[in-house]
Amino acid sequence: MSAEFEDVLLYAERPEWADVTPLPQYQGVDALAPINYSAEYQDATDYFRGIVKAGEKSPRVLALTWNIINMNPAHYSAWQYRYKTLLAMGADLEAELRLMDDFAVTNMKTYQVWHHRRLLLTALRSPAAAAAELAFTARVLAGDAKNYHTWSYRQWLLVHFNDDDEGGLWAGERAWVEELLEKDVRNNSAWHHRFLVVWASGVRRGDEDREAVGRTESAFAKDKIALAPNNPSAWNYLRGVLEHTKTPFATLTSFVELYIVSDAAEAPEVVDLDNPAPTEGAQLPCVHALEFLADVYEQEGGEQVAKAVEIWKSLANEHDTMRKKYWEYRIRDGLQGARA
Amino acid sequence: MASPRDLRPTPTDGYSTATSFMQQDTEETLLAHLPQSLASGGVIASQNVPAVLQRNVHMQYLLRNLRQGFPQRYTGQDASQAWLMHWTFQAFSCLGVGMDGETKRKAREKILAMQHESGGFGGGPSQAPHLLATYAAVSALAVVGEPGPGGGWDEIDRQKMYEFFMSVKQSDGSFLVSHHGEVDVRGLYCLLAVATLLNLLTPELLQGVPEFIASCQTYEGGFGNASFPDWAFSTDGYDPAAPRPVLGEAHGGYTFCALASWVFLQPYLRIYYKSKPPSTADAPAAIDRIPPTINMRSLIRWLTHMQGTGIELGGFKGRTNKLVDGCYSWWVGGCFPLVDGLLGPGASAATHETETATKAEHAQASAEDNDWLDIDDALFNREALQEYVLFAGQHPAGGLRDKPPKHPDSYHTLYCLAGLSAAQHRVGPDHSRREALLQSWDADAARQKAVASGPPDSQERLDSLRRESFLDALCWLEDEGADKYVGGSANRVNATQPLFNLTITHTELMMKHFYQQNLPSRVPKAAATRP
Ligand SMILES: [Zn+2]
Repeated sequence: MSAEFEDVLLYAERPEWADVTPLPQYQGVDALAPINYSAEYQDATDYFRGIVKAGEKSPRVLALTWNIINMNPAHYSAWQYRYKTLLAMGADLEAELRLMDDFAVTNMKTYQVWHHRRLLLTALRSPAAAAAELAFTARVLAGDAKNYHTWSYRQWLLVHFNDDDEGGLWAGERAWVEELLEKDVRNNSAWHHRFLVVWASGVRRGDEDREAVGRTESAFAKDKIALAPNNPSAWNYLRGVLEHTKTPFATLTSFVELYIVSDAAEAPEVVDLDNPAPTEGAQLPCVHALEFLADVYEQEGGEQVAKAVEIWKSLANEHDTMRKKYWEYRIRDGLQGARA
Repeated sequence: MASPRDLRPTPTDGYSTATSFMQQDTEETLLAHLPQSLASGGVIASQNVPAVLQRNVHMQYLLRNLRQGFPQRYTGQDASQAWLMHWTFQAFSCLGVGMDGETKRKAREKILAMQHESGGFGGGPSQAPHLLATYAAVSALAVVGEPGPGGGWDEIDRQKMYEFFMSVKQSDGSFLVSHHGEVDVRGLYCLLAVATLLNLLTPELLQGVPEFIASCQTYEGGFGNASFPDWAFSTDGYDPAAPRPVLGEAHGGYTFCALASWVFLQPYLRIYYKSKPPSTADAPAAIDRIPPTINMRSLIRWLTHMQGTGIELGGFKGRTNKLVDGCYSWWVGGCFPLVDGLLGPGASAATHETETATKAEHAQASAEDNDWLDIDDALFNREALQEYVLFAGQHPAGGLRDKPPKHPDSYHTLYCLAGLSAAQHRVGPDHSRREALLQSWDADAARQKAVASGPPDSQERLDSLRRESFLDALCWLEDEGADKYVGGSANRVNATQPLFNLTITHTELMMKHFYQQNLPSRVPKAAATRP
């Protein structure tokens, strides 16, 4: 609770609230498992229930709900009623956003904090406000780079406003994600975001040549894999790109083969821009590369499946023993597919 | 399992980032919780593993909350009071703890006080109706309620609940969790679980839902929290051809909710879509619609890759490159029986069809097929997950948790125990059980108990939806020959029905009442299906 609420009278003690009948929470006599609320919380929620019952929508309702969500940011009914009150009063929604800025940062794990902003942005219908929100979410993500709600909200902003003009909302998105991946190449939320921006939400301005985009993205993922090969996020992205563009995994065989050797020093010295080699510190062989190569063989089918089976066996018994059951399943499934 | 324990740290490739630093810290902490005898190369053998489920301290922890109430720091759960009930009661069910009549009566009173006058349940008394709270309240009532006056079940206003459901339905097949609330697959799961339990399913309710669920699968294979169609701002109208990008990366909690929803939707997909021959001879002709599909291969890959390695004690994480956490023992661990159910008997046989048919349906087609062999063909490491819960999940003072050194809470107590259950037992659709339920099915009784009837010409199809949903949900049985208990059978927790996270018995009793059916008695799966 923030300091401004300390030493304030209870609603029950304030003359200006005397016209409201507080409504205690009904939970039966000698209730099971009660929460031991503070006097302040109980008092405020008693008055909130009273207000909801009376249907009042006024400035003091905003003060009351603000008080409650400060004590319990997950009180979705208080948020809901606050939003209805804002609309009924024709309140300044930009001011509401500013009021919520610090609050969102302190309570970023709460669904309602982000959903409230989404409701406000929907009502505002303002791309300028959305641009400000992108900046705001970037600040929040700088402090907590994997906050699920913040990411979802940012993605919603982009998709909802869908402003693809020059200098519009989408313009800086890919560069920004690249920055985040520079900071932490293992940030899976950023990888997901990249997939949404490049692939999942339609074709962006300048991205009309999908084959070229596919090449760029595949090169991007390969570079990131070279940097830290045992990073499932980068491999998943690479797989996602190939599957999305229906590109056979076999097109990457020579790249992947650089990562299945048992020592990085074994890699060839020749610099091949299409097939970046693992960095010096890389711990090889990389299980993700082994898995990838097995998929290549399985996709090729026929005689090649036996090679896939050998790799799956090595994953099951040596390199990735926790997933032994899964690799055994892949063996059964692969052999079945080869027979069929 | 005779191979030595692999406790290699996750490779950092000489390139550390914020993610790898946190990962390293966690691995050190977890390793310290592995008993010395195991850490130094010992192998799993139930006789000498010092792995004990501290049932009594966990029960005391749950009882303390129930009797003395929750301390002030639980104020943040004021809007989750229905959940506190569900977590506590279902944790009791897992532990095999029954409740006395007076406690059950008080529990019913408390839960019913959360029912909203306009339908559905709120997170607490006088709180707005909410899909999540509705699931939590109904699940809690499944444990503490019964038919008849004061029993809690007949006090549920199902007509109004259905109206509440329809009032939060969106044109893209999604649902708001509450009026002016957010859209996500948790809410959808909660709605489908409740609608299935309480006989509220209609084609109007399910219209567009499979398409929405399918659109929430990410390129990684798991599901994100919601998709959002591009059309909203520009046209304010629904354009089914517009891209529907999924917001939020693949996540264990959302994946469970999406996958269980997908299983709930199978009868609707069979009856109201084209694509496949009718599942039974008397089923009416399907409507001319192509069913959406989900990618089972990538889903299985993602799910299995959420299991942490040996140094993470085999716990599950909720997202790629995040840390293991006890609650994903259920959210991810609980997905495996659902996957098995979709793939059908002999999991290896069926994956080349990305298209999914339920196990029950497969069983129907091949009743003589003797594929129900007692081999452990689970897709994940069942022993390791049990070790995570036992070694890292338990708080010494009672209750279960995310990971050490965190405090326990009601939520993690249930989902660690439910995950332990998913690792100990094999529960799946059973052909014989489905047949027996079908034999005793009474369509008129179920129709009379339903809330929405629809036009007469659609009655036959709606009857089928009701029947198939009932059969699909209740044909799940435990394969008693396939259980496995790390630390010995003293650690056994009850099996749960993975669609609802209730025991099979509680699920049966509630559905029996709301579909007004007579249930044939259950024969243990092992005895019924093994030669
Ligand atoms: Zn957790």
